[in-house]
Amino acid sequence: MAKITRRKFLEKTAKIGGLALAANAAPAFLRHAWSQEKHAAYLNAQIKWRQVEGEEIKVLITPAHYFNKFRAVSPQFEELTGIKVTFDIIPPREMREKAVLDFGAGTATYATHTGDPMFLSLYEANKWIEPLDDYINDPKLTDKKWFDKDDIIPLWLAADSVKGKLYALPSEGEATIHVFNRELYEKKGLKPPATMEEFKETAKLLNKIDGKAAGAALRGFRGAGQNMYIWPSLFLAWDGKWFDANGKPLVNSEAGVKSLEYYCDLLQNYGPAGVENWNWPEIMEAYAGGNVAQFIDANSTASVIENPAKSKAAGKTGYQRWPKGPSGRRVTSIWNWAMSINSALSKKKKIATWLYIQWLTSRPTQLSSALFMESADAVVRTGVNRVSIWTDPTYRKAINFTPDYADVVLTTMKEDTDPDWRPRVPQWPKIGEVMAVAIQAALVKQKTPKAALDEANAEIEKFMKK
Amino acid sequence: MDNMAPSKKAGFQKERERFGYAMVSPSMVFLIAVTTLPLVSLLAMSFFRIDLTSPMDNGWAGVENYTEIIKDHRFWHSMRLTAVYTTVTVVLQVMIGLALAMAFFRGFRGQGAMRVSVLLPMILAPVVVGLSWRTLILTPEYGILDYLSILMGFGSKPWLVHPSWALVSVILIHTWQWTPFAFLVFLASLNAMPLEPLEAALLDTRNSWQRFRFVILPMIRPAVYIVIIIRTMVALRAFAAIFSATGGGPGTATEILNLYAYRVSFNSLNLGYGAALGTLLLLLTVGISMVFFRMRKAN
Repeated sequence: MAKITRRKFLEKTAKIGGLALAANAAPAFLRHAWSQEKHAAYLNAQIKWRQVEGEEIKVLITPAHYFNKFRAVSPQFEELTGIKVTFDIIPPREMREKAVLDFGAGTATYATHTGDPMFLSLYEANKWIEPLDDYINDPKLTDKKWFDKDDIIPLWLAADSVKGKLYALPSEGEATIHVFNRELYEKKGLKPPATMEEFKETAKLLNKIDGKAAGAALRGFRGAGQNMYIWPSLFLAWDGKWFDANGKPLVNSEAGVKSLEYYCDLLQNYGPAGVENWNWPEIMEAYAGGNVAQFIDANSTASVIENPAKSKAAGKTGYQRWPKGPSGRRVTSIWNWAMSINSALSKKKKIATWLYIQWLTSRPTQLSSALFMESADAVVRTGVNRVSIWTDPTYRKAINFTPDYADVVLTTMKEDTDPDWRPRVPQWPKIGEVMAVAIQAALVKQKTPKAALDEANAEIEKFMKK
Repeated sequence: MDNMAPSKKAGFQKERERFGYAMVSPSMVFLIAVTTLPLVSLLAMSFFRIDLTSPMDNGWAGVENYTEIIKDHRFWHSMRLTAVYTTVTVVLQVMIGLALAMAFFRGFRGQGAMRVSVLLPMILAPVVVGLSWRTLILTPEYGILDYLSILMGFGSKPWLVHPSWALVSVILIHTWQWTPFAFLVFLASLNAMPLEPLEAALLDTRNSWQRFRFVILPMIRPAVYIVIIIRTMVALRAFAAIFSATGGGPGTATEILNLYAYRVSFNSLNLGYGAALGTLLLLLTVGISMVFFRMRKAN
């Protein structure tokens, strides 16, 4: 047995230690190089990403495939900035309540949440969120050229502004389009409708065509984000205005009554049984199962509809912009998940939050997350926020459901729009609630469209005056 | 030294008392924090204008919220619904619960398994009950109940989408879930009845209806009162099952007071007004329960 002298012992341990050190150092160095490459797109920005290293922020999001992707790529942000990001995941309605309660109580639990643009007026009126211009115009916090805000879909920026000031940035969004079963259309020798009247005509002709498919579906469930998500498009296409010059509500105007009559007539006669309680998932699933011939709803439904494992309509579906209303207008919904900065945060956390929002809404993250496959059956994001991505060949190839799908969505988002698609006032939560009840009451024949809207108008007038 | 004794004893007593207080204080503080404080703040909020959608006008409102409630037609509509919903569900629960208890009381083969299956609905969370009724049971054409209705030739019914049907459906759901409670209480009190009067009744009465009406019912009357009181209190503040089955809709067809208060507070963000509605609901529940308790005592 060799005798271990002190010298030998030291020598050996030094060698082992050295080896260990080398083993550690090499990957660290390599790791750095790799991360340099991985983060190259971000390191082009002339800001210090690690300026508030060590901060921790909590983000409130809803369970949806695009947020799964954001969550999946967020560790890259943590690596880049040294800021830790955690998530709370709650369904949209409860999420909004939680966000409002957090704001109202000033607890600053959530640094940011995926908000509803319609709530921004309310947030602004209560000074719950930060105007973003201060962050965008500070060269220490934003490299304006790199971030290129103007590349973001202009309509969404408009929707995320209050009184001309930007308060949130869109992380993901959608537009409503007309989705129809091409096979059934061909069977009846129909052409895609150009007007809403023609749309109803096709619904009539296609209703129960194979004994089961309903003619058409629109959201029927009561809620500011359900029936009050689809009817405003009709109201505006019938040339409706929310308020007159003196701020008096006009929902019971002729445009209001006519468009609600259209909505009720369409769904009562040619809609699927139970549509009064349907939101978009029910519509999408019924369509994918062959139980609805066509619908008008979010373009994001395409990624499920075109999945042959989940849908009978895969490869048989056509997409087009909204048919024109009697006023000659087509008006899409405006939806995006708007991320804002909670005013109750500490200064450092605000910066950390801004860095996260900037990172998430920047072109590189939007593109990489859009194509990220978090699981084997993951779908592509169809709501990226940048015009340059919508025209990017790699992305267009990924969403090439039909040759014109990308253009239909992009044109809709560019042209069929009105920032005042829904009334953007702090009282929106109340208006949304009152209108949602009125629309559903008319749909289930609890009241006539005129009576329902008269009542709603009177109620809105009452609380707008206060 | 002698006169030190009583004070020493008092000191010991005091110490014991103090120790006792120290021991219960954590739970007292906890109870006050989770029950009394919210109640007091609810009451306080109901006297303020707290409307998040117009924060500029917030402030002391006095009884304004309450005077406004009197003029609010949606409130009166919800009150009518609450009355119908509570009365019908409680009556149904008592009747069906009693009938079931009588059936089980007399005993039959396979009783054990039946007893478990009858109790199952009560174990489920009301949200789960509301959602499964909405999807599994009442969905047009594919739901179990609608399917049966079609099979039996009645045709598909607008369970959750027609205003009156929707009210029937939510009453059905509540009754289905909570009748087991009534059943359990009645069965227990039937089993606790002394046998002698029953044996005597077998000789003295002409039929089983008479036995039930004049012998059994008077003996289990306290249980009936308890069931009515508890079930009324619960029905008045029912929420989760209706919320998940219809959301108070279609329109406002199933919007009982509790749901209306919720929608005012959390959808319209008018917290002061919502608090006033909540306070009224509280007073209503306490008032009705007190009347029942009095009646029970008088009997």
